[in-house]
Amino acid sequence: MNRVIKVARMQLINKGTFIGIPLIILGASFLFTLAIWWLVRRNGGDGAMYGGGAQAPMWYFLALGIQSLTLTFPFSMAMSISRRTFYLGTVALFSVCALALSVFYYLMGLLEVATDGWGMGGQFFALQWIADNDWLVQILFYFVLMVLLFMIGFLAATIYMRWRTTGMVAFFICLGVLVLGIIALFTFTNFWDEFWSWALTWTAAGVTLWGGIVALLMAGGSYLTLRKATA
Amino acid sequence: MPRTTAIATRELSKTYKDVKALDNVTLDLEPDRIYGLLGRNGAGKTTLMSILTGQNYADQGTAEIFGHAPFEHDPTLSRICFIRESQKYPDDFKVHQAFESAALFFENWDDDLAQELVEAFALPIKRRIKKLSRGQLSAVGVIIGMASRADITFFDEPYLGLDAVARQIFYDRLVEDFAEYPRTIVLSSHLIDEVANLLEHVIVIDKGQIVIDSDAEELRGTAVTVTGDTAKVQEFIGTAQVLHRDALGALASVTIKAKLDADQREQAKLMGLDLSPVSLQQLVVRSALSGSTAQRTEERTEARK
Repeated sequence: MNRVIKVARMQLINKGTFIGIPLIILGASFLFTLAIWWLVRRNGGDGAMYGGGAQAPMWYFLALGIQSLTLTFPFSMAMSISRRTFYLGTVALFSVCALALSVFYYLMGLLEVATDGWGMGGQFFALQWIADNDWLVQILFYFVLMVLLFMIGFLAATIYMRWRTTGMVAFFICLGVLVLGIIALFTFTNFWDEFWSWALTWTAAGVTLWGGIVALLMAGGSYLTLRKATA
Repeated sequence: MPRTTAIATRELSKTYKDVKALDNVTLDLEPDRIYGLLGRNGAGKTTLMSILTGQNYADQGTAEIFGHAPFEHDPTLSRICFIRESQKYPDDFKVHQAFESAALFFENWDDDLAQELVEAFALPIKRRIKKLSRGQLSAVGVIIGMASRADITFFDEPYLGLDAVARQIFYDRLVEDFAEYPRTIVLSSHLIDEVANLLEHVIVIDKGQIVIDSDAEELRGTAVTVTGDTAKVQEFIGTAQVLHRDALGALASVTIKAKLDADQREQAKLMGLDLSPVSLQQLVVRSALSGSTAQRTEERTEARK
């Protein structure tokens, strides 16, 4: 157990990677959004304003999932850490960071509503579709989304570490065939209209639940893959 | 009472696609000795060390460290340190951050020793590791290996890119530190003469097979080079196994596998022949690789028929 925490500490030796960079990305995209809103209002724009910048750090987590594995895993082998310990320490650290950021999103959402959209009627953190839910669903929604993106990167990177280029090529060909197959199936059965009307009924809670299940499956898959990966 | 072996392998084999990296390797390494793992590039040295440190796994056979398989076993792994020759470090790591990390995981980490070595190697600790020269990169690995003071420490071609002074510092400090803190050290190398004096035991691997596994002192006495008049040399060596032969006009210099006693040495002197010891490097090159050369010659002869 102790070594799991040490793995987390090792990942944090460079504090920028897990904490600094996501905060810079979030801060920058928030300030840019505020500036744009201000310009819009100054020029007489009215109505509600939405900003999608809150998702910006999440895309960084995709890269972080890849990076924390490809760069740190070979080094962790040299530090005589088992794959299991490396996995647990890295995933646990990311989960804690993602949870902290999710709570931060929620609190900023409250502040946003209280200040009437930062005094400009904007929505950056408290997007209606999410903010209409209770606090737990809101926090979990952000958390699952972050973990999901991290896990996509992490799984892809474990496949690379274990089977190298061959694995990557096979993985993406299979993925491509699968996606194409689903699109073809929907097209031939004229399922698209039904699909979109169904998609519109999704709730934040539903997305959280299903996203959480997918993230768990990917976490299991990447663990099993990593168990026999070599540096 | 027999002491527990530090490293024990039984019929270890590993195949990469069509290359047999390890072929039936059975070894026993005792604790608190300095071993040399010698062999040509691609002979299987790194593969063997990777399996012994749980970084890789064998197709067949077993490997045990202090009686336990190292693969995915943290208590065993924590007693081992293996920095590979092509070790990768996190992209954004600076030198001192790699040491901070090592200090977390190696319980016997000695920060003072690490600092001393940093000064001795003139290593810029605030520089990013990916900006280091080959020699500086080797120095990082050497420092982690030495300062970790792990029960079993592997050095994988640690001298690559190091200049002569730095290499000497490494050898000297290793011997000094070993005297104070005995532990099992496995030094992989293809520069045999340079490390010959450090080694207590020599393991030579060629094409995945162990061709020599012998005490270094013993090994040194097993061959001798006889130099002098060709006819007399031939008379003296008789039917002894010839490892190598050089001829220059009427003179011949022949390396034979033989342990000479005092009488034989006296006889050689009377015949006007010179006896000279064979360096470990020559011995390894001649005996380990003569097997494969002989085999190749045989194959060629076969092919000609």
